Amino acid sequence: MKFIAKKPREGINVSDEHPLVEAGTLVVGLTAIFIVIALLLVFIVEIALYFVPAETEAELFWDWIPEDLVTVSPNDERLYRTQLLVDRLVDHWADAPYDFRVEIDDSSVANAMALPGGLIIVTQGLLDQVESENELAFVLGHELGHFRNRDHLRALGRGVVMGLFFAVITGNDVAGLGIKATDITVRGFGRKQESKADEFGLAIVHSEYGHVNQASRLFERWNETNQSTSAFVAYLSTHPQPGDRVADLRAIAERDGWQIDGEISQLNWDRN
Amino acid sequence: MENLSLFFNFGLPLIILMVAYFIGSTIEKKHFANIREREDALHGFPVVSFDTMPDDWNVSSSDMVTGSIVISLDYFKRVIAGLRGLIGGRIKTYEPLLERARREALLRMTESARTQGYDAIFNVRLETSRLANASRDGKGTAGVEMLAFGTAVKLKGRFG
Amino acid sequence: MNVSSTHSIVISNTESIPGRNIVEFYGVVTGNTVRAKHVGRDIMAGLKNIVGGELRGYTELLQDSRKEATERMIEQAASMGANAVVNVRFATSSISQGAAELFAYGTAVRVS
Repeated sequence: MKFIAKKPREGINVSDEHPLVEAGTLVVGLTAIFIVIALLLVFIVEIALYFVPAETEAELFWDWIPEDLVTVSPNDERLYRTQLLVDRLVDHWADAPYDFRVEIDDSSVANAMALPGGLIIVTQGLLDQVESENELAFVLGHELGHFRNRDHLRALGRGVVMGLFFAVITGNDVAGLGIKATDITVRGFGRKQESKADEFGLAIVHSEYGHVNQASRLFERWNETNQSTSAFVAYLSTHPQPGDRVADLRAIAERDGWQIDGEISQLNWDRN
Repeated sequence: MENLSLFFNFGLPLIILMVAYFIGSTIEKKHFANIREREDALHGFPVVSFDTMPDDWNVSSSDMVTGSIVISLDYFKRVIAGLRGLIGGRIKTYEPLLERARREALLRMTESARTQGYDAIFNVRLETSRLANASRDGKGTAGVEMLAFGTAVKLKGRFG
Repeated sequence: MNVSSTHSIVISNTESIPGRNIVEFYGVVTGNTVRAKHVGRDIMAGLKNIVGGELRGYTELLQDSRKEATERMIEQAASMGANAVVNVRFATSSISQGAAELFAYGTAVRVS
């Protein structure tokens, strides 16, 4: 046999498709698929919520508190007063599904959360900030609004379902899921849910005081102190812009004929 | 402040990805050009994978020769491969990389044989192995080693 | 690529094509594919790991890869004007998590 020097044609083992084309199709295709799956999962959660009535939720969560919560002592005056305020507000809510408990989170960041089982958490920071009882009442009423719309369960459900989906896809440890699921908090609430909760809060404040003075004071204060962010970032955030919330609340008050002026109830943290 | 976090979560990885892509593809083109040049220089040097020798060849000495290269997968390619891992199919971005590695390994083996004065290489074998850690989230180094080895022979007199 | 089906190239993993003589030899030809499995197969494989048995999804995947790699190798040989590839070998290796490279190589020759 004879040797003849030859070499093969170039490009047989490489495809001539530009890598960016492959990258582009993959990204677009996968995004589309994920959006569809996400919508499907949200739908599944909605159906599941229908089958978990409030009674079951009360049974399961009635004394549950998140593990990493730093609470104040049960004798705390503000805790006592806030619980009283909540009870007064709930009196105006005919179909309240269960009893509501208040816990105070020892954090200096102003925040309030609605958690499964009727647990309302407010932070020290929030209590430091509010200037009147009306203002606090609106915040609590807003959280009650979340409970009425079962938003807290929705967030929990979506968190669990999404977590499960991604664990299966990426093969992560499923045990860690249980831990993650119990830590799901209000971050999952959507902007529409926030608006609905705002509306309920305003209504319940009106029922208690006969007017809605100071109800949107918290947002007005935030609006004044916050630097305005770009429209894109505002879209991505989980809450509506404070300025928008103030405007929406004014519009609701006008629509329902509620007075914005009225006697402001002062905060009274003393036990007597 | 939110703008800053947006930048770090989306903007920066995107920039790194594009830098990786552009630099990676420039390096790739240069390497291919270099490979073609060296292959042309070695044109006429027999490299085969069987071990039967032509009857009229007289071997004076022989030895094993090897050539190897460890090539790394750039960030862009790994991201694409990760996405592929979800829907399956050919990972087209890896193909030029493996082609380069293989040809480079063969070239190094052949060049080493020629420098040592050999005239042909028989019974060539090619092996690939994965090196280092290529963890899923893109951190860590990822390398592929391509090894080519064969038996080089010195012939008495030129072959026809 | 279905180009190889139009070539009449013989391949074998022996030194020469049985019954024929090598007249000319050219050089090493290779064929290469890298494929990723998709999550569906992954999940099935995970379940199969519990009960045991053939991972049919993977079998098919690797069969397709091997076929493609072989076709590319044959195409290289055809572009050199060869009519046979001898001493064919396969190699499989994992390039990164979830991606396997399948590799076929041999020597392109002309047989009588």
